[in-house]
Amino acid sequence: MSDAKGKTAAQVLADYDGPRLRIMEVCGTHTHEIFRLGIRKLLPPQVDLISGPGCPVCVTQVGFIDEALWLADQGVTITTFGDLVRVPGTTRSLASARADGARVQVVYSPLDALEYAKAHPEEQVCFLSVGFETTVPASCLAVEQAHAQGVENFSLLVANKTMPNAYAALKGSADVFLYPGHVHAITGTSLCEELVEQGVSGVLAGFTAKELLTALAVAVTKAQEGEPFFVNAYPRVVRPEGTPAAVELIERVMEPCDTEWRGLGVIPQSGLRLREAYAAFDARKKFDMPHIEGKANPACRCGEVLQGHCKPSDCPLFGKVCTPQSPVGACMVSGEGACSAYYQYGGDLL
Amino acid sequence: MTEVSGKVTLAMGAGGKQTAKLIDEVFAARFASPLLTADDAAVLEPPRGRMAMSTDGFIVSPSFFPGGNIGKLSICGTVNDLACMGARPMYLTCGFVIEEGYPLDKLAQIAQAMADTAASCGVTLVAGDTKVAGKGQVDGVFITTTGVGEIVEGAAPAGAKARPGDAIIVTGDVGRHGCTILLARDDFGIEADVTSDCAPLWDSVEAMLDVTNDIHVIRDATRGGVGTVLYEIASQSGVGVRLDAASVPVDPAVGGVCRMLGLEPLYLACEGRLVVIAPKEQAPALVEALRGCPNSGGAAIIGEVTDDRPGWVVMRTEIGAETLLPQPGGELLPRIC
Amino acid sequence: MCVGLSAKVVRIADGMAMVDASGAKREISVQLLNDVEPGDYVMVHAGIAIAKITDEDEHETDEVMEELLA
Repeated sequence: MSDAKGKTAAQVLADYDGPRLRIMEVCGTHTHEIFRLGIRKLLPPQVDLISGPGCPVCVTQVGFIDEALWLADQGVTITTFGDLVRVPGTTRSLASARADGARVQVVYSPLDALEYAKAHPEEQVCFLSVGFETTVPASCLAVEQAHAQGVENFSLLVANKTMPNAYAALKGSADVFLYPGHVHAITGTSLCEELVEQGVSGVLAGFTAKELLTALAVAVTKAQEGEPFFVNAYPRVVRPEGTPAAVELIERVMEPCDTEWRGLGVIPQSGLRLREAYAAFDARKKFDMPHIEGKANPACRCGEVLQGHCKPSDCPLFGKVCTPQSPVGACMVSGEGACSAYYQYGGDLL
Repeated sequence: MTEVSGKVTLAMGAGGKQTAKLIDEVFAARFASPLLTADDAAVLEPPRGRMAMSTDGFIVSPSFFPGGNIGKLSICGTVNDLACMGARPMYLTCGFVIEEGYPLDKLAQIAQAMADTAASCGVTLVAGDTKVAGKGQVDGVFITTTGVGEIVEGAAPAGAKARPGDAIIVTGDVGRHGCTILLARDDFGIEADVTSDCAPLWDSVEAMLDVTNDIHVIRDATRGGVGTVLYEIASQSGVGVRLDAASVPVDPAVGGVCRMLGLEPLYLACEGRLVVIAPKEQAPALVEALRGCPNSGGAAIIGEVTDDRPGWVVMRTEIGAETLLPQPGGELLPRIC
Repeated sequence: MCVGLSAKVVRIADGMAMVDASGAKREISVQLLNDVEPGDYVMVHAGIAIAKITDEDEHETDEVMEELLA
């Protein structure tokens, strides 16, 4: 390999002449950046990039939006990341509920939702807590602070998810995983090391053009060596031990539960819920919410897209009835979803 | 000028003495000119040659923001719409809908900004109308302006005239007005030293027309920003657009706010920026002329018109690959998780 | 899944820090990190600092590539 010395990551990728290789970027922000930067255009044809299930909005079950709408109908103020506003529930979205008079407040952070609650003591304020390990600590911090400060008009509707059992469920969907850099900034790299022992290869990737190209160059080079591997290609952010205080915080406030991933079905112990000690902040308990089951469009092939079994454009709904303006399936609902990125950045057109 | 204080009342909109007082003290005192009508309509000399006419409504919350207020905006918007047709703005009319209880001193500031901005670009306010709406029926002040301009002989820019090979020019950094308003609403706790680009641009257009009349398209990139305008032009002209991401000027703080919220600066509104499409060989001289104008010092060539992929805007990204600029998608929502 | 932003810590008090990303400033929680000081760079997500970082990807990617191709 000595002649390869000094090659750039882009050159390594362009020169790849090995066998077909399936690389799954697990993280939705990776999907978005890969499309935005046009990275797919620099890859040789035998390298397939598969967009995995790491967009929390995409994998959030339809019923969750219905639950949020139910709360809004009870007069609860909904605070949410902008990502969820246009996501369709069974019949409506938060945007359409807002047009009908529901209070829906877009926030940058769960801590801002808590501040909103403190500033509006006459309103009941619920934050829609979606997201993976990266996002969970902010929600937990808000709940701990609300608890400590005795804020009684604040609650969470939780649909947070965690990655370990999702990796297990995705095993075999790809030859190499691009691991989500910011999830592992929290959880560290021990899980990635363990997965090597189970024969699963992966590269931890950052989010800049350089970091993504470098991680992909690592993936194609190491894959040719034939042994399962793990490389942390995002060391400026991810330490082996992660951010222990964040992990401890999550464990104090939340506990694992089974949960449904839209498009993938129930993955055991891959969800989070508030611990009993924080039941007063659990919107489902606080407002005696009935069990709400959402209905997704049966023609949608998102489940297969998320596992790399088909391309977005192979789905009969894609670009016809299902578009970013009026999404049907999970992968079209968020800007980070595979179908949305494929549609918006011209997956088949260019 | 009379100092005003107190608040706008419903009586001030009822047509009697109090209405006359409001108009005299707040508006007429500031808009004073021989052409400003005291009757039912202004009586004016017509333009020579062809004329352009445009109308636009303005609602902005908050109505005062760094770099301007709704008054300045309402003049710039219509002046710029006329300028985009190659028309020297001549006359403007303005209609106000004011919420009961609105502070009179703020209304006076808005009127003053309108008068100053109009004077700065040589346009005369010739007629106006004032209505007062009950508390909660409008948000502060809404303004509609209508303008008439005289088209410079030989100039005929239009959205359907972009041709493959043309250069695409933007007259300064993009997204500042949208970013300013987003920050002024303070929904996301972000602070940045960003000022709206709100400005009248007739002098910029005049400077270009002094170089050549052979300008194919001029558009002001207001709502939806430069990205939306480029998609509109691509569709109207049946051409493709290729942008070079690295040459799109973005103020660093606007870039920082956008990265924080996962937004694309090309989709944030501008209120003092034009997208200009002209034959490639004219572009360097046009950019030079623009850079000599006070509001277009940051003019730059950002891309070209192509004949492939009609209707689409393609971006050359920082790594040299090509990808689509996502199509405009309505309300801008921060992307966090 | 997790839009991150690298930003410089400007000032810090009681677990909250003012951070600056090319002139865009915001208060965030740095409660989960030890020893953060003004001048440090952090990765910010949803209003909290999730890691202390170095601010540029140049050295990082150079080193990863060197190791890969050694």
